[in-house]
Amino acid sequence: MTAAGQPAAPHTDERLLRTSPLRKLLGRPELGSVVGAVAVLLFFAIVADSFLQASSLGTVLYAASTIGIMAAPVALLMIGGEFDLSAGVMVTSSALISSMFSYQMTANVWVGVFVSLLVTLGFGAFNGFMLTRTKLPSFIITLGTFLMLTGLNLGFTKLISGTVSTKAIGNMEGFESARKVFASHLTLGDVELKVTILWWAALVAIATWILIRTRFGNWIFAVGGEADAARAVGVPVIRTRIGLYLGVAFAAWVSGQHLLFSYDVVQSGEGVGNELIYIIAAVIGGCLITGGYGSAIGSAVGAVIFGMTSKGIVYAEWNPDWFKFFLGAMLLLATLLNAWVRKRAEATK
Amino acid sequence: MTAIQAPAPRDAAGPALVELDGVSKYYGNIKALEDVSLEVHAGEISCVLGDNGAGKSTLIKIIAGLHRHDAGTFLIEGEETTLANPRDALDRGIATVYQDLAVVPLMPVWRNFFLGSEPTKGSGPFKRLDVRRMRGTTRAELLRMGIDLRDVDQPIGTLSGGERQCVAIARAVYFGAKVLVLDEPTAALGVKQSGVVLKYVAAARDAGLGVVLITHNPHHAYLVGDRFVLLKRGAMAGSHTKDGVTLDELTRQMAGGSELDQLSHELERAPSPGRPGDRPAGGDTP
Amino acid sequence: MARVRTGVRATGAVLAAVLAASLAGCSSTGGKRAEERAAQQAAEGRAAVNTPRWTFAMVTHSGDGDTFWDIVQKGAEQAAVKDNINFLYSHDAEGQQQAELVQTAIDKKVDGLIVSLAKPDSMKAVVAKAVKAGIPVITVNSGSAESKAFGALTHIGQDESIAGEAVGDELDERGRKKALCVLHEQGNVGHEQRCAGAKKTFGGTMQNLYVDGTNMPDVQASIEAKLDSDRSIDAVVTLGAPFAAAAVKAKQTAGSKAEIDTFDLNASVATGLQDESLGFAVDQQPYLQGYQAVDLLWLYRYNRNVLGGGLPVLTGPQVITRDDADALAEYTNRGTR
Repeated sequence: MTAAGQPAAPHTDERLLRTSPLRKLLGRPELGSVVGAVAVLLFFAIVADSFLQASSLGTVLYAASTIGIMAAPVALLMIGGEFDLSAGVMVTSSALISSMFSYQMTANVWVGVFVSLLVTLGFGAFNGFMLTRTKLPSFIITLGTFLMLTGLNLGFTKLISGTVSTKAIGNMEGFESARKVFASHLTLGDVELKVTILWWAALVAIATWILIRTRFGNWIFAVGGEADAARAVGVPVIRTRIGLYLGVAFAAWVSGQHLLFSYDVVQSGEGVGNELIYIIAAVIGGCLITGGYGSAIGSAVGAVIFGMTSKGIVYAEWNPDWFKFFLGAMLLLATLLNAWVRKRAEATK
Repeated sequence: MTAIQAPAPRDAAGPALVELDGVSKYYGNIKALEDVSLEVHAGEISCVLGDNGAGKSTLIKIIAGLHRHDAGTFLIEGEETTLANPRDALDRGIATVYQDLAVVPLMPVWRNFFLGSEPTKGSGPFKRLDVRRMRGTTRAELLRMGIDLRDVDQPIGTLSGGERQCVAIARAVYFGAKVLVLDEPTAALGVKQSGVVLKYVAAARDAGLGVVLITHNPHHAYLVGDRFVLLKRGAMAGSHTKDGVTLDELTRQMAGGSELDQLSHELERAPSPGRPGDRPAGGDTP
Repeated sequence: MARVRTGVRATGAVLAAVLAASLAGCSSTGGKRAEERAAQQAAEGRAAVNTPRWTFAMVTHSGDGDTFWDIVQKGAEQAAVKDNINFLYSHDAEGQQQAELVQTAIDKKVDGLIVSLAKPDSMKAVVAKAVKAGIPVITVNSGSAESKAFGALTHIGQDESIAGEAVGDELDERGRKKALCVLHEQGNVGHEQRCAGAKKTFGGTMQNLYVDGTNMPDVQASIEAKLDSDRSIDAVVTLGAPFAAAAVKAKQTAGSKAEIDTFDLNASVATGLQDESLGFAVDQQPYLQGYQAVDLLWLYRYNRNVLGGGLPVLTGPQVITRDDADALAEYTNRGTR
């Protein structure tokens, strides 16, 4: 071997600047956004009464969880370098399928739930296959799927149920047990914790595990960062992308079942616009729009920020006509704060 | 550090590690490669020389498994094969280091090192990356090749061009490559960095690998190469061993040989009236 | 470092700006409306009661920028001034989001709640929670059938089926033979009831046309396409005042002779009635709905009074024709009819 024998590298390399552990912590994609979350929390704690009370905690966490369940796989997809604009209406599709299948077939509700899982995963696979076969940008492909699903939601529901909403299935077998799984809640004193919070935590944990501790996660970073490089070293790019879309579809199924078993009747026109909110939550949490960088925990923090802001504005009794303006402004501020914190953390001086 | 000295090319006792025999590749009606032959033996460096557009990258892609050849034979260890994809090439022991390096800039060095071949522990749903082993091995392998990285967690994009090349080569060597294909490794590097990279190329050769070195720099090629194949516009313009050619001859052939003689004759300055240095009497200098 | 400082300054400036804007927002409505209300208050006197400043929240299914709900809000705000009420308004067209808004009102422990039940199933659970928490609930505008079952004190609005039937009768009186009913809001139970009611009493044939109410050019294009393809349509009934304007434009471009009629009033509908580009309008008096909702909640809190005797309190239908339009013009211009 030609390389000169090297002494064992010194324990602390003198070429490394000593960075405080706090600064290292702040450099991680998600923890910078925690600073933003704390800022938003403090802001509304001051400006809005009843924001800090126990019952409000349950409301804010619920709002965060319904976004967070979708934001986690959407974040993974974004790290993998792609978008899914059909995620919002896919949730509604999933709920519609469960409900209509169970009702029309007079089957146990769980059968409908299972069929809905298969079909929703099918939508995800469709997105993945279209992307990998046509090589068109995912923005375009999923935009097409979004429009198709929106139309299918309305058309199919009217065709089968006769109206724009599904028939109630609350009295069918299996409804109660399914409701316990997807739409129940636990009341601890003044706080009402909905089961979606549990689903959210589980999905974020699994997504984080996949991302940083499995081979698939390594592939996600690679495909999002530099797909050609990944392909050249043998990473299965196609499988990775399809897998990511299946992940989004699975979360859409969970969200859809929650929607169905919370309210029984499903409105076929809902869900439009939510896909952007999931993307916002992921980006606030540190995901790069261009891919290759981000985290699932960050998406959870982003969802919390979104939940706190959208509910905090109402608690603060701000003029409701200006609701969307304030929402957008606060989200921009939170993102700016996150970026600024990260830049400071990475600066050497 | 031993001086770089090409060992005398052995007679092929066994079959070449990789051999291309009369290989052609067409894109539509464009002839990217026509009747090209190349041999790579263990412990030897075969250089593929040619200017831009000569067909070098097409050749690489065929060896790396990205494209399939349209005519001729492609032999790996004496067996005629067609590679299905890069994964297939890797499994057969052919590791390619691309010009753009096939690294993901935002990912840390240790993740890049094992990309596509990540070691795992555990099984079933608990199968997870063996992170400690990945970090440790990366550090050790790079150290073995002479790179002492400050921090294997740093994104690989923060390394210099030469360092990135060395990481890529170390990766290929580690994963048991039998044949190392290098696509213009010194093209974007300065003199000193190029020297460093060539040293590692020689180290890989000495470790028993067969190396295919693609370059448009005849000096670099002559420094380390045992065999030379020249490509011009998709066709072979020459094939030599180290004994049979000098650096000047190689350079001349690469630069265009007789065409360059003609060109230099045309470009010769026409004799001007008066001594050189005098201002011409009125009118412009032709 | 300088770059970081400008970054801090910029962030600080933006934060200050948002804070200032929020403080302006905090003080209920600013600008012209405060001015107008101040004028109103001066004319009509300040709070006429000496009860404590209760907080009533109204949560509706309105989309953004809906003029109908603006009028409801105006009525509610007028009553709030009179009864010394802190009036909070919030809205979302999606059922789940509307339910979340009601939940925040419950969290805030408001003294009274007003909701619209356009999608009753989404609201059922959360209204029950409000009732259980001891918050009196009044429903307004939509959901008269479910109101009592959900535990509300009373419902203020118009019975949509009856309103629809009135439309059918009026169309017959005008000799129409083929009508189009334009529904602009998916899933709205009340809208379906209106069209169903009209179909019931109408002598001729009636078809439903679904459009996307949040996209006005699209609404116009859809109606135009329908009028183009079916020349025998001689009446178009829209379910909201802004959509009447779109229908009139669609009629002109399609070159149709259909009569345009609508539910609900606004200034341009009043003008349309006067210049006969519209046939008739059916008004449910939104100002009255908002006003009564707040006032009745106050009466309940003050005196446990409940109006209606278990039945909905009806604010419509009121059929407005050309003759009535002149009288109402002033009020529609003011934005209270």
